[in-house]
Amino acid sequence: MLKPLSSDRWNYATAAHLLNRAGFGGTPAEIQKLCDLGLDGAVAQLLDYEYTHDPATDPDWANSNYDEIRKLREAIKNAATPDEKKKLQQEREQVIQRRILDLRGWWLRRMTYGPRPFQEKMTLFWHGHFATSVEKVRNPYFMWRQNELFRQNAVGNWQELLTAAGKDPAMLVWLDQAQSRKLHPNENFAREVMELFALGEGHYTEHDITEAARALTGWSLDLDTEQFMYRPFIHDRGEKTIFGHTGNYDGDDVIALIVEQPQAARFITAKIWNYFAGSEPSPELANALAANFRANGNNIKPFLHVLFRSEEFYSPDIIRNQVKSPVQWLVGSVRVLECELPPPLVCFGALRQLGQDLFAPPNVKGWDGGITWITTNTLLMRYNDAQALVEGHLPPLTASDFARKEGGAGGQKAMKALQRVRMGGVDVEKILTPEQRAGKATIVAALEHRLFQTTLKSDQEQTLREFLDSKTKMTNADIVTAIRLMMSTPEYQVT
Amino acid sequence: MKNEITLQTRREFLRRTVLGSSLAWTVPAFLANTFSALQSEAEGSALQTPTGKDATILVVLQMAGGNDGINTVVPYANDYYHKARPIIGLKEDKILKLNDQIGLHGAMTGFKSLYDAGQLSIIQGVGYPNPNRSHFRSTEIWQTASDADRVEKHGWIGRYFDAACPGADPTVGVVIGNQLPESFFAATLKGIVFNNPQNYRFMANGPAAEESYKKLNELEMSSPLPDDNSGGSIAMLPAGMPMTGGRAVDFISRTALDAQHSSDEVRAIAAKVPNQAEYPPSQFANSLKMVAKLIGGGLPTRIYYVSQGGYDTHTNQLASQQRLLGDLADSVKAFTTDLKAQGNLGRVLVMTFSEFGRRVSENANGGTDHGAAAPMFVIGDKVKAGLLGQYPRLAPADLYQGDVKYNVDFRSVYAGVLEHWLKTKSAPILGKQFTPLPVV
Repeated sequence: MLKPLSSDRWNYATAAHLLNRAGFGGTPAEIQKLCDLGLDGAVAQLLDYEYTHDPATDPDWANSNYDEIRKLREAIKNAATPDEKKKLQQEREQVIQRRILDLRGWWLRRMTYGPRPFQEKMTLFWHGHFATSVEKVRNPYFMWRQNELFRQNAVGNWQELLTAAGKDPAMLVWLDQAQSRKLHPNENFAREVMELFALGEGHYTEHDITEAARALTGWSLDLDTEQFMYRPFIHDRGEKTIFGHTGNYDGDDVIALIVEQPQAARFITAKIWNYFAGSEPSPELANALAANFRANGNNIKPFLHVLFRSEEFYSPDIIRNQVKSPVQWLVGSVRVLECELPPPLVCFGALRQLGQDLFAPPNVKGWDGGITWITTNTLLMRYNDAQALVEGHLPPLTASDFARKEGGAGGQKAMKALQRVRMGGVDVEKILTPEQRAGKATIVAALEHRLFQTTLKSDQEQTLREFLDSKTKMTNADIVTAIRLMMSTPEYQVT
Repeated sequence: MKNEITLQTRREFLRRTVLGSSLAWTVPAFLANTFSALQSEAEGSALQTPTGKDATILVVLQMAGGNDGINTVVPYANDYYHKARPIIGLKEDKILKLNDQIGLHGAMTGFKSLYDAGQLSIIQGVGYPNPNRSHFRSTEIWQTASDADRVEKHGWIGRYFDAACPGADPTVGVVIGNQLPESFFAATLKGIVFNNPQNYRFMANGPAAEESYKKLNELEMSSPLPDDNSGGSIAMLPAGMPMTGGRAVDFISRTALDAQHSSDEVRAIAAKVPNQAEYPPSQFANSLKMVAKLIGGGLPTRIYYVSQGGYDTHTNQLASQQRLLGDLADSVKAFTTDLKAQGNLGRVLVMTFSEFGRRVSENANGGTDHGAAAPMFVIGDKVKAGLLGQYPRLAPADLYQGDVKYNVDFRSVYAGVLEHWLKTKSAPILGKQFTPLPVV
């Protein structure tokens, strides 16, 4: 188990697989560069990102000293009349919506253009794992802080990350831990940390949850400083029994006790494997992954170094057998086509339709992923969004796609804003050399190489050549349509 | 020897597929399921093969956001009600009386006429133990029919499809909207989702592109069988892996065919079947108009799912709830008129739900906050019309943390619908036996 991949299997296809999974894919040149580094060099290039400078800057509102929302909250509290209060509440709602949209665009740009794709891919994993939604948190600054927490601790120590995630302001609001007190312990976080974050169902008792909830009391949030705060006077100092151990435990102890459970390593490593490999590990593989994780002191990065160099990760039933998430689909498409990332409102609309609204996962379980990304509707949306992306006009959205809480009016407003949007589309002369553009067969072959890093089925290739043949005088626009057709296949939806 | 076998016809391919079984994965569901249904011996009474044309149909209406049930079915003669709601309490002359104690919100004239015609059943005080006041969590509880302290992977409608409709066409479930609701999550996903039939299609710039799309997404019957990975015409990865060997792409191929097939069908029906009633001009009404067309067009659907949003009325509730309930009642009334004109009303049952009701006392903003139990409505020609269950008690001493207590578990309503309307055993679907409420 977890044998290193033999060097004769390292080639363009396996390098592409690594970049697709550990990042968001790339151009033929990028894949070739990675391939030339050899397996160990390529994995190090992606994973040891601390040696690569990331010039990204924080959103300009991401600063607790300059917080409009906090000021608005005070003003709402002190509003003189109901009308003024309502006006201020609307204003606050607009600030929240504007910033969260900005945050979505900010993150997508980092995924698409940033020099550390693996760090962003891992940040996306933690976002899905600790699935926290702005719909309840109502605070873009907290959401950004959590996003940064995941980025900074993306491949560190598991116990440290789990503790930090529990003390994170967005999480304290999301799972009500901030409201838990000695006299009324709230079990929400205590339950989810065991069930969804660290152990999985069946590996704890209801009693463990009740006792852990008592121990976690005191973990709270100071709304003035917007920081985690330990409040000793609401902490239950009594004795608790968790997993058969008894002591005067507090929140840090709860996390330590959880991470010590033999199941903990199995749980998180299986979930990480599933995210990168796209399938459940076999029991033997799950054991091997957990053993490796433990041997590495529950540190994520050395574990991933082994994972990404293992023969198992490059097995035939893993390669090109993962459904692209909507984010992978969008970011990956922009990267391989070397076109522009559409404006935030367009990305938001498309991702929402496709089922992956960043910073607003459907519930605390996160996105189910895999084949649940695909419904008859979302598949046709992907095919139609592909047209928008390559041709540079807007996808066929309706106002109702944007009608949120504010109802039809908000939808209309968003639509009007969208109608002004222009996008770049694909520049055929940038992604195909003159030699490649010379004939139908070379066009199809070059595009297959770029989009799939392999070939399509022979009759699909035939269909594409026939499509180009049907044009009396083939133009760049026809090639763009051919690209769209290639993206409108089941094969393009997997990676 | 058989590596290069070429099958002449789709029929032959299917015959071989069915006989050789395991390939059903790559055949469009609507074809494969038909064959497997034909083959399957009728084992177990939970199994049924819906035929569409005459099967019963359930339409689930989600009132998203948490509808204030107390101002929907109004206890107008109750002093506690008016004490708790000095601003937003509805006066006797503003409601549509059902008896000397309660009445419907004045905007719900459509429901009142259904009630008078014996086509509306009002189930009072529906909820569940240990109610959760989070939209997300409570919606999830209703969608998965779980206990409040359990997280279920699959939804109750999905489990119904898994248990009772194994050979069904993908259009056995139709969601008008963008996303598959959690209630549809299932071991074997079924159901098509679309918002607007005009958008539910491949948008092609030109007939050549359209034709190419269809070919690219077609099962090429002249190719070697998919499990034959030694044939030269199956694309090979440079490292020697067949591209179509994995299951993910096969699932998507099947969905692509389902999408193509249902897109054509849905748009054909939308263009062909007329609506035979005046609906209000709202998006919700448009969704019901679409459902009426699909029923009239004979889609073999057992469950339709439609949502109406906006019920989260924390502020200035009177105006927004007036609009929403009026839209709901008028749209549903028009829907029943439409179905009656089609001759289909007798086989359609409509059921509403909302993730929770709201607090008994109004808040300081002319609205109400998240609460617990609330009424459900069931509409149809065959419903047990009238009031079911007890109106929850409103005396402060009878409340739990400011909320009315439930007296009907929503899963008893689901059980009633499953057993008495969809004619299937409810316990395997709901996880345990709830007393089926006699809704029909």
